[in-house]
Amino acid sequence: VTSSEPDVERAAGIITRGLAAVIDLVVVLLIMSALYGGLVLVRLVYSPAAFSVPSLNAVFSTVVTFFVAVLYLTGCWTVSGSTAGAVTMGLRVVGRRSQRVSLLVGLLRAICCVLLPIGLLWVVVDRRRRSLQDIVFRTRVIYLKRAR
Amino acid sequence: VAEKVPVFGPLMRRGVVGLSERGDKWVTQSADQFKALLAAVAVGLVALVLDEMDLNALVRERVDIDVLAADLDIDAVINRVDLITLADKVIEGVDLPAIIRESTNSMTAEVMTDVRTQGERADDVVAGIVDRMLGRDRDNR
Repeated sequence: VTSSEPDVERAAGIITRGLAAVIDLVVVLLIMSALYGGLVLVRLVYSPAAFSVPSLNAVFSTVVTFFVAVLYLTGCWTVSGSTAGAVTMGLRVVGRRSQRVSLLVGLLRAICCVLLPIGLLWVVVDRRRRSLQDIVFRTRVIYLKRAR
Repeated sequence: VAEKVPVFGPLMRRGVVGLSERGDKWVTQSADQFKALLAAVAVGLVALVLDEMDLNALVRERVDIDVLAADLDIDAVINRVDLITLADKVIEGVDLPAIIRESTNSMTAEVMTDVRTQGERADDVVAGIVDRMLGRDRDNR
């Protein structure tokens, strides 16, 4: 069944992937707050007299958050295959055959993951533990080989 | 008696005094030499004896070191030592940052491995439950 076969790349399940996604969400929110803080500081520097804490424009912040998330996911997946959350949970995104995800696939997969995060739930019922995005882009999420 | 003889007497007295002076001188000189010789011999002898003896064993056998140690005024010794300087020296010798770094690293690694293993196990548990619910053959994955 699921007994560990150390040499075989095993697909990761919903718990690890879900936790990794939560960690990544936190990372993106941290980036966003850093950006916001930077914006506030810049405003303070350029017009200290007429300074007020900028109010958040809902549409603008949503768009920026979307881009930050897509950029973050694409960068991590194409460069190392692992986001911060994936590293924490010991996961890695690989292509169908290659060990890396190409830039285009990474970008599209990131967009889809941000737009339709619920697709991750398909991992639970899929026999090969693929999310909807994995099925579409033929990627896999596997456990990092344990350093033992 | 002979000293009372005129002319001859003073001469003889002078001779006797000279002789006795010379004798004294000779005696003291030879005594010094003898002393030096004796000292040299004694030193050589003691050295020889010491060479033959195992002093450590002798001390261990004959001296009760525990009693001596019990009598030692260690507080006085400690009072004479500059403890702060000593401690500084000891701390300098111990690479504390490296130890902390190492232990923190191994702790982090342990926690990470633990989290990953637990996650993997949880994945398997969930997969098992779903497989059972869907009535799947669990070996056929």
